[in-house]
Amino acid sequence: MIRQPNAILGNNRLLVTMGKKGEIFGYYYPGRDFAQHVEDSQSCLYDGKGVIWSNSREWVADQKYIENTNVVSTELAHPNGLKMNILDYVHPRLPVLVRKYKIRSEKRFSGKFFYYSNLQVGEMKKKNSAFCDYDSGLVAQYWKNYYIGISSTPIFKEWQIGKAMDTIWWTNAKYDMEDGELQRNNEDIGNLNCAVGWNIDIDASKSADFTVYIGAASRRTTLYRRMREIQTETPESIYNDVQENWIKWLSKKKLLELPDYIGFETFKQELQAAFNRSLLTLSLLSDPIKGSFVASPEFDHEFEMCGGYGYCWNRDSAEIVLSLLRSEYPEYCSRFFKWCKNTQMHDGSWFQRYWLDGNTAPSWGNFSFSTQIDETGSTIFAMDQYYRTLKHPVKEEFLDSVWATVLSAAEYLMRRTADGVHDPCICLWETHSGIFTYTNAAIYAGLLSAANMAMDYNEKGLADRWTERAEFIKKTTIERFWLDEGYFARGITNGHLDTAIDASIMGTFVPFNMLSPEIPEEKAMIQSIIENIEKQLRVPVSDHFGIKRYVDDNYIEGNPWIVTTLWLSKALLEMASVIDHTAGETENREHRKLTHDALKYIQWSLKGTTSAGMLPEQVNKYTGRPAWAIPLCWSCALMLDNILLLDKIQRKINSSKKEIEDTGITYDIFRLS
Amino acid sequence: MVRDLYMFSRVNEEADVIWFKVAYENTVHSEADITSFFAEKGLDIRFAYLDSSEDPTKGKYVMFTEAEKGRDIGSIAEELEKMDVVLSVKWGYSKNRAIQSVDFPLQLLGKRAVIIRAKTFVDIINIMNEQVPQSEGLLTMIGIRNGAGAARYMQEMVEMNDDNFLGLLGELLMAAGWGKIEYDINIFELTGIVRMKDSFLADEYGESDVPVCVYISAFLAGYISECLKKTVQVRESKCKSMGDEVCEHVISAAPSGVKIEHLLRGELH
Repeated sequence: MIRQPNAILGNNRLLVTMGKKGEIFGYYYPGRDFAQHVEDSQSCLYDGKGVIWSNSREWVADQKYIENTNVVSTELAHPNGLKMNILDYVHPRLPVLVRKYKIRSEKRFSGKFFYYSNLQVGEMKKKNSAFCDYDSGLVAQYWKNYYIGISSTPIFKEWQIGKAMDTIWWTNAKYDMEDGELQRNNEDIGNLNCAVGWNIDIDASKSADFTVYIGAASRRTTLYRRMREIQTETPESIYNDVQENWIKWLSKKKLLELPDYIGFETFKQELQAAFNRSLLTLSLLSDPIKGSFVASPEFDHEFEMCGGYGYCWNRDSAEIVLSLLRSEYPEYCSRFFKWCKNTQMHDGSWFQRYWLDGNTAPSWGNFSFSTQIDETGSTIFAMDQYYRTLKHPVKEEFLDSVWATVLSAAEYLMRRTADGVHDPCICLWETHSGIFTYTNAAIYAGLLSAANMAMDYNEKGLADRWTERAEFIKKTTIERFWLDEGYFARGITNGHLDTAIDASIMGTFVPFNMLSPEIPEEKAMIQSIIENIEKQLRVPVSDHFGIKRYVDDNYIEGNPWIVTTLWLSKALLEMASVIDHTAGETENREHRKLTHDALKYIQWSLKGTTSAGMLPEQVNKYTGRPAWAIPLCWSCALMLDNILLLDKIQRKINSSKKEIEDTGITYDIFRLS
Repeated sequence: MVRDLYMFSRVNEEADVIWFKVAYENTVHSEADITSFFAEKGLDIRFAYLDSSEDPTKGKYVMFTEAEKGRDIGSIAEELEKMDVVLSVKWGYSKNRAIQSVDFPLQLLGKRAVIIRAKTFVDIINIMNEQVPQSEGLLTMIGIRNGAGAARYMQEMVEMNDDNFLGLLGELLMAAGWGKIEYDINIFELTGIVRMKDSFLADEYGESDVPVCVYISAFLAGYISECLKKTVQVRESKCKSMGDEVCEHVISAAPSGVKIEHLLRGELH
């Protein structure tokens, strides 16, 4: 079933995705991509007549993060006066989710509190096994070397291991909860569900508190040890540790200098929060050992409506690690590029997408004509960007370690661009087959990046050869794909020039710098590309407009994307950042407009987040609500980039304030007209 | 309960088929007056029904008539509406002369309902059996929920007790076109048999080596369990699709106090 989360949480060993009413949608252990062990896991109250599920329509939910942490607070209010507050956090070290429930009622409430789970341990519906060891206060379910355990404080009073889908329907725990009694059986096998329960009897002045622990392990003995260990700490002390850990991790970030944006009230605070949330999100979606990232926590496991997102694409990850690098988390780069070394194919390219452990993922890009060549260009480009930030002797060590990878990748790109544009392959959106402006720009940047590293590796001959090819690609791309209308064609599809405008042509400027804003002719080209994209790809919703990927986009209703919108705003800010706003009124006005326009797009993107602040891939074009993959790492990376550019611009302004004051020119660049 | 209306018109090609929906004041002579009016106007009533069950003071008279092409139906309807007993008139042409619904949407057991052919239902089951793991368990869960839901609705509508709940079920199943049941159940021991003649599932399914009416078994289990507030299991022991004359569903109490691990270990005799 496709269910998009509203919040995510976790630690180095566990990832949990959650619906807006505190339902667990995904419980990933030990990887962020595999295995997802939970089909359904949530609480309900039995009021003597029937069960009130915590995700039933009547509850009004308010879910948010505790500031600067990956702790999720969910407050549910029922029209009958019941209130259920859930505080969810993952232990700092152990793969154990802590679910702290507080139940209140406006009037006396007598009944039961049940915690129900339909676990599919190891992503297996069948051949699971479950047992309740009541003496240890543990319900455990396992398949092969995956163990999931549920324990609680106070210890549950009743329990049931049930058949989730069987003709002996009265053993089904979900069904059996409806009479308010669980069967207290010990064990079962097959497709299972389970429930644990407590009596609850509160009046208006009191609350009932239950803490449910859901832990994971690869062995039964380890599970027992972990679930015992967590019981030795109080939920409050775990919470304090979790909070402290996240705040400490976040304290490493680059400190931002953002102004109060006139006309964008409270925006500075929103940007700070978005910056922090993007960092915290990305930290959860990376494999802490391997260095790879899932594009988004998987939500379409059956590939019902798309090809899935719970895998690592080099394209996405290259953008993500660079954003984290700029945010002063360079360790993600070093880990990811090591992963790249290990996953590179024999021909020097990278596969369409991978499992986080480096195995090739389910793919529709198994042939040279169906691969995505831009991913190889992006990887080498990002590698060089990181390399340039390193200092002696780490810099030389890094180059030594990746040189064979760079050489192999660059030669792959050379082999596939003999005509000055790349051989036919699949586009970055994985929609079209052919030759693409974006892919050529990525290859251009990849070859120049390889050339830069080759120069340092005393391989001038290779560097010259790769640079020459890069320039040939640039020249050919402009000659063949630049249109009189003032933008690049998408490329060649079905053997013909495809003049449809595609937001990815921004790649010629950002991030690949095939066009430079500091060369007047190229600056004019960039401006024209931006104007055409704004004109032709805008989708009005949420009091402004977002940018969709291309005309006639029919993937998930052709919504505007956060990615393309923040990509555009990033381009605007990159343009602004190279303008000397003190040079004169014209420059100042241009600088002001570019920044203002970018701010409007950023503001629009923030309106498209979930209530907890998760940045999605898309925004529903009718409602303005977050759509499809949530959260999307690429969106988070672009949000970081945008805010870092605003910071860069502000620092430049701050350093030139004196000059501005002397000349009498306003530096109030963000005032709305 | 509002009942939908439809008809297949294979009548005079030279005539129009016109439907009327007449709301009237419910007197002893209202229906006769309206019927006489149509006779006077030479409009041949081909199919009709009356319904005054929702509000005893008002009735609804729905009919399909035939009239030679070109008749001024608007004037007739105006005249009809002026009758003392008539409250309002709606009318229209059944243009395609194949099927026509006057009341929409259809309601059944207090909920929106649709009509599907038995073949469509069986197709759904067949596809589930082919494509879905544990399809029998899934059909059981659906049947249980539907049976229990039907029982809850019936309990709201009529005074149900141990004596009449199976009779009411029989009427419901026949009205819905599922089949005709006979039953012999000891509600104290929770044992017995429900036999279903002309089960729509078995009829439509065709030949099979195994019983095919698991959905009906589960519906019966849900209905009976909800009515008796005791958990029963129902399994189909004979099925028309297997060559039996009727389908036979065996009722028994769900094992109480028996834990699944005992079953697995063979500790249960």
